[in-house]
Amino acid sequence: MQRQGLGWFEERLGWSGFREKFLDKAFPMHPSFFLGEIALFSFVILVITGIYLLFSYEPSAQIITVGGRSFPAAYHSVTQIDKQPFGLIVRQVHHWAAHLMIAVVILHLLRVFFTGAFKKPREINWVIGILLLLITVMAGFTGYLLPYDAFSVTASGIGYQIAASIPWIGVALAKFVFAGQFPAIGTIPRFFGYHVVIIPLLLIGLIGLHLLVMIKQKHTEPSSSRGRVAPGRLLGIPLWPQQTSLMVMLFLLMTGGLLLIASIFPVHPIELYGPPGPQTPTVKPDWYFLWVFGLLKLIPGWLEIHLGGTVLDPEVIGGILLPSLLILLIFLVPFLNRTRERQNYLEPVTKHPLRTSIGTGVLMLLLTLSAAAYQEVLDISLAIFRLAAVLLPLLVGIATYLAIRLFRGWRSKTIKRAREPLSSDR
Amino acid sequence: MAEEHERPEHTHQAGMRRRTLLRWVVGVGAFSSLAALASVLGTVKPPQTAQRGEKIKAGDVLVFALGQNKGAPLTPTSIVPQQAVLAFPQGKAVQDNLIILINLRRSQFIPPTHLNWLPDGYVAYSAICTHLGCTVGFSHEPMPGVPYPHIHCPCHQGMYNPLAGAEVVAGPPPRPLPQLPLVLNAKGELVADGPFDGPVGPLPGGR
Repeated sequence: MQRQGLGWFEERLGWSGFREKFLDKAFPMHPSFFLGEIALFSFVILVITGIYLLFSYEPSAQIITVGGRSFPAAYHSVTQIDKQPFGLIVRQVHHWAAHLMIAVVILHLLRVFFTGAFKKPREINWVIGILLLLITVMAGFTGYLLPYDAFSVTASGIGYQIAASIPWIGVALAKFVFAGQFPAIGTIPRFFGYHVVIIPLLLIGLIGLHLLVMIKQKHTEPSSSRGRVAPGRLLGIPLWPQQTSLMVMLFLLMTGGLLLIASIFPVHPIELYGPPGPQTPTVKPDWYFLWVFGLLKLIPGWLEIHLGGTVLDPEVIGGILLPSLLILLIFLVPFLNRTRERQNYLEPVTKHPLRTSIGTGVLMLLLTLSAAAYQEVLDISLAIFRLAAVLLPLLVGIATYLAIRLFRGWRSKTIKRAREPLSSDR
Repeated sequence: MAEEHERPEHTHQAGMRRRTLLRWVVGVGAFSSLAALASVLGTVKPPQTAQRGEKIKAGDVLVFALGQNKGAPLTPTSIVPQQAVLAFPQGKAVQDNLIILINLRRSQFIPPTHLNWLPDGYVAYSAICTHLGCTVGFSHEPMPGVPYPHIHCPCHQGMYNPLAGAEVVAGPPPRPLPQLPLVLNAKGELVADGPFDGPVGPLPGGR
């Protein structure tokens, strides 16, 4: 009966070729290979919960009066969503899934970096991947404003001012992006458009491209698979049914986990924050912006660069210039590598001590800057943090380098010792 | 025979002419369509909203910006000594006009504070941080390294000294908060005696 049904489709679609080609596609096995999938599934969960929120959200900053109290319409509609059955938890799952997606995309990037998986022929997917990270962060920034509470308006206002501090084009650019001087009445509709239409479309397109390139080039394999199958063949489990069942399990596990986290740890309680008012609450940006926030704190106020009739103030240097420089360097990573042969196996982190130590150094820098964002809470002086931001990354980088060298020396010695009886046999 | 020689030449010429014509048609069409798109760009550009509110001027009565007395005029008895409130000029409640009004002892003030703008020890500064535009607050609590009382910004921990013309004592703000000329009117209300003595909030990039 079932065969007949499939035969009916086969007769019309002739998809046995497709099935052979794609459903049998081999997936190499390594726990870290699930990071990309977790990012993809977070996006799926974001889309599903986002569609739910879309039904009741009102994208407007117009002031409405309800029961004698005035609120921006967007804020009020979100408080109404929170009162719907499952409304609050769906909104919280949406918020947590956004955090998860950004975190996992970053971990995915680190995995690819430290194992050298960005090397030829995968430079294109590295570039697409970084674009995906940047757009995901933009999705986070634009979505943060939408509830239009006191916190989100403050955070977006700071974003506006940083953009406006760019010389020459800053004010025009910021006014274009925010539809006027923030908080303008046009900001919410425009951000709604970015967050709900433009950014998801870009993400869907780029994710599709990322996957297509990955399917075309085939996955990198753990180095343990080397030599276990014929050259040009991949060692892994087929997409159908093994990998698919793993994916379904992972997706369900993630959905369950996010529901659990959302019900135990409330995130962004807008009823507590209240609608925007003349006062500014004490805000900290989301964790993925903390390093920029810390950098803005550490750059002394007097640091200005006079350049061709204009002034680059500390906000441009810390908020735009240095972050852009770091992002540019990350984009360039695969092109700084000059190996000619194709890289199809993951490299152990010990293979390239310099790359690994630069990676850990940069990570330490970002962590130190993020900690500097909490400088007044930690009660450590800015001067100490400035020193730490220079010394700690260097220290961690050098320590990583020496540790790898030591490890390699120790390993080559043990290998030599293991070979010695062989040579004495002669 | 001669006819056959001529014919391809004719078609050739005609083909050239047709192609040139088509090229022109496509060129002009593409150009005018693109030019028409300029008007679309005009709509994407943010609308010029005049609703940024009027600037403060002499004679504006200061009123509570929030709380249960919101909108009520401020008098020297409205604020407890060593405390501050947020105020708006009456009828001009926009963020750029937000004022932090502090009740301090007159004798404590030093230049660059405008010492003739301090009726009964009240001082009024713009409440918009010159760093990135957050609303500042007032604290009487001592903080390490900061002479108290101080004005502080919750966003990036900028600190200003209200007794010395709100000059920056810590953190990233590039300029002091502008001061507002303050006097008492006949009814004993606190009123502005002119606009702020400097630009409000962060300056645009490149300055």
